[in-house]
Amino acid sequence: MTTMTTAPIENPLRAGMRLQRTPDACAVVVFGATGDLTARKLMPALYNLARERSLPGGFSIVGYARRDWSDEQFRAAMKEGVTKYSREPIDESLWESFARELHYVPGNFDDAEAYTRLADRLGKQDAAHGAGGNRLFYLATPPTAYAPIAEHLGAAGLARPADGWARLVVEKPFGRDLASARALDQELGTVFRERQIYRIDHYLGKETVQNIMVFRFSNGIFEPIWNRRYVDNVQVSVAETVGVEGRGGYYEESGALRDMVQNHLMQVLALVAMEPVASFQGDAVRDEKAKVFHAIRPIDDITRDTVRAQYRAGAIFGKDVPGYREEEGVAPDSNTDTYAAMKLEIENWRWSGVPFYLRVGKRLPKRATEVAITFNRAPLQLFRQMGGDNPTPNLLVLRIQPDEGISLRFGAKVPGTRSDVRPVNMDFRYGNSFGVDPPEAYERLLLDAMLGDSTLFTRWDGVEAAWELLTPVIDSWAGGDSPMQFYDAGSWGPEAAKHLIERDGREWHRM
Amino acid sequence: MASDVESPIERIAEHPSAVEPSAIEHEFDKIWAETSSESPGDSSVRLRTVNFVALGCDEASVGRFEAVMEVLPQRQPCRGVLAAVYAGQPSLEASISAHCWRAGGGSRHLCSEEVTLRGGLKDEHALGSAVLALLVPELPVATWVIGEPLLSSHLVTDLIEASDRIFIDTGEAADTSAAMRAVLSTRESRDIELCDLAWYRLDAWRSLVAQFFDGDEGLRQVRRVRTIEITAGADRSRADALLLAGWMVSALGLSLADRRATDASIEATLYESSRPVTLRISHGAETDTAISGVRIETPDVQFVLELHSESGHIHVRQEWPDAPIERKVASEPTDDASIFIVALEDGLGSKLYGRSLMSALSLLGD
Repeated sequence: MTTMTTAPIENPLRAGMRLQRTPDACAVVVFGATGDLTARKLMPALYNLARERSLPGGFSIVGYARRDWSDEQFRAAMKEGVTKYSREPIDESLWESFARELHYVPGNFDDAEAYTRLADRLGKQDAAHGAGGNRLFYLATPPTAYAPIAEHLGAAGLARPADGWARLVVEKPFGRDLASARALDQELGTVFRERQIYRIDHYLGKETVQNIMVFRFSNGIFEPIWNRRYVDNVQVSVAETVGVEGRGGYYEESGALRDMVQNHLMQVLALVAMEPVASFQGDAVRDEKAKVFHAIRPIDDITRDTVRAQYRAGAIFGKDVPGYREEEGVAPDSNTDTYAAMKLEIENWRWSGVPFYLRVGKRLPKRATEVAITFNRAPLQLFRQMGGDNPTPNLLVLRIQPDEGISLRFGAKVPGTRSDVRPVNMDFRYGNSFGVDPPEAYERLLLDAMLGDSTLFTRWDGVEAAWELLTPVIDSWAGGDSPMQFYDAGSWGPEAAKHLIERDGREWHRM
Repeated sequence: MASDVESPIERIAEHPSAVEPSAIEHEFDKIWAETSSESPGDSSVRLRTVNFVALGCDEASVGRFEAVMEVLPQRQPCRGVLAAVYAGQPSLEASISAHCWRAGGGSRHLCSEEVTLRGGLKDEHALGSAVLALLVPELPVATWVIGEPLLSSHLVTDLIEASDRIFIDTGEAADTSAAMRAVLSTRESRDIELCDLAWYRLDAWRSLVAQFFDGDEGLRQVRRVRTIEITAGADRSRADALLLAGWMVSALGLSLADRRATDASIEATLYESSRPVTLRISHGAETDTAISGVRIETPDVQFVLELHSESGHIHVRQEWPDAPIERKVASEPTDDASIFIVALEDGLGSKLYGRSLMSALSLLGD
């Protein structure tokens, strides 16, 4: 009888450890390696993962971009980025060790020969490091380059390796409407399978966004009241003080609806509205989010239930700022939205009849991202009958950024002989209970992608459902059905947005 | 090595003052009222998510407790209470202080409370009762026995029931074997969570050793290990090295066949089925280092970890014959405060520690 030696299924030395494994030895190939995203986000994230022992031996990075750089030039540029943007100060000796595995291949995104050189380079690294043919291709490029890169990766035999795995990470925006998103999905799909594609939405990598699930599903007291019986309305708001910051050309093609609502706000909405999952394995979370997207009722009266607006000149923090149409790269008669608000309804057992209001805008008075859940008033206004005030409804606010935390508003008796009720806030702030800076969203997302965990990435059916909902809005706005509104920079948006919610007898949560 | 947590960004107020033990809560209330009136535009928040109790048996323990309280509240907001009992202390004395700092450059002051109680040997029970009265209700209690892990002292006995977790350090024991036996027997006989700081000092080493065996090739090598060598410093590192060895022996399912020990080393022969594994633990002369290196050998490869004490980096090498891989990573600081930051955030590994402790004791011949 012969004895076969087989590898055990799990590493016995990982038992009882928080991190159940490090990624397989692999190469991360960054397309658009000389760009801002790589220096500002990707490289600092990878450096911090390496210094904190989350990356495996045999890990390497290959930058790919048009500039004719050498390995040394790439390393120098990346060092500058890490020095400037890393959450931990750079350690020279650790950097030196990390930088040894940084390589660069120059090439245009449509240059077949350059992909052959890339394949050669990766093959050599596999031989040197035993990376086993594992590759994570990160597209930090304009979306127009996604399809050609995927096609060339396929042609060079890099998309479906015989040994190891290949994964493709794409940044938002994934298409600019339903048709273009479907076309892109089809183009990528001819080369990569859905399970190989990781659509990144960096909001999902934020600790406080992940905490929405922890808050809902690890606390027994909130989930029973998280439904239409107790909730009056839900508001998801993203306020930015910045304008287009020199990216007028990009923003002209995008606008608030495409840039923020289609991805970040819809993802946050889904986490707030989805049903509990039985586990965090596989596609459980993404399945539940998809159900929410499919349950959102198409907006039947776009003029009534949506608002688009553009900022005029105004002042932020006492400083004069130009209007959107005066920004560099913006057409003087631009029709691009810098503010969007809408009312959505989710037609399912839990949320039927509860409006979800979304709003996002640039050049608003302060920077804040919040989810505000307003609960129904108590059934009997007892203290008003006794001469007291009419208590304001309970409000639960999940603050995603900045000043991350959770606050709950409730009524309390004002000391004295009368029965006056005053709203007070019970406030939890992350910084007060966890002194540590959370890891950057990109650290978590890159690590998950290398581990093959796609829970925090968006799946095609979710992306498609969001475009299905919003493409009619985009078309209607483009057709001029909803007139463009204007608001002063430094204000909380146009009057029409106030009317959108006040018409229902409600008001925007004050941020 | 320095802590990985920065010192308070800006210390706003400190009130070290001697107080009557019975008046401690009242005195704290006065401090908070003063702190608020000093800066009317700012808000002060008293933060407490855990009761952090420390039990000491000499004046040096006061310094160690204070060093931890300089750093720990920023990661684990707590009320810190030290009860120190030692000969020569004439009577029960108490002092309190409050440390506030600004978070993230904002105007909000975050504040922690610190109580130091000192007493003579006759005051042990009185101190225990004073500590119980000072615990903030509904918050978990973490108790640190500073220095020699004496679990039988009156003070420890008084506080065991009130504690959710008790932290000792077998690395500080004069007799490692006796201390490990006492810990094992206490864990088995009493329903308390007894945690060993020596175990938490091994975090970086354990994760790096485990990392060698991730992935298909690693999983193949894990059943081919034939030699394990651990190099450690002198004295204090004895428990750390034994625990690291015990963890590997237990996790790899190795059975002890034979052991030989000298003052400076332990060598053992172990088996996994019929495959022999040689384990060596050797102690050098360095006194400020716990583990300084690990080498694991299979017929195909040597896995090597080496701590460079000056830089604090660990050099990680996989010495494959045709494709050696080398990199450097940061090690974890091992000062008291940093270890507590790791330990208080950890909710895992208790059973694993127990199994590792048993294997460590077997390597000691017990």
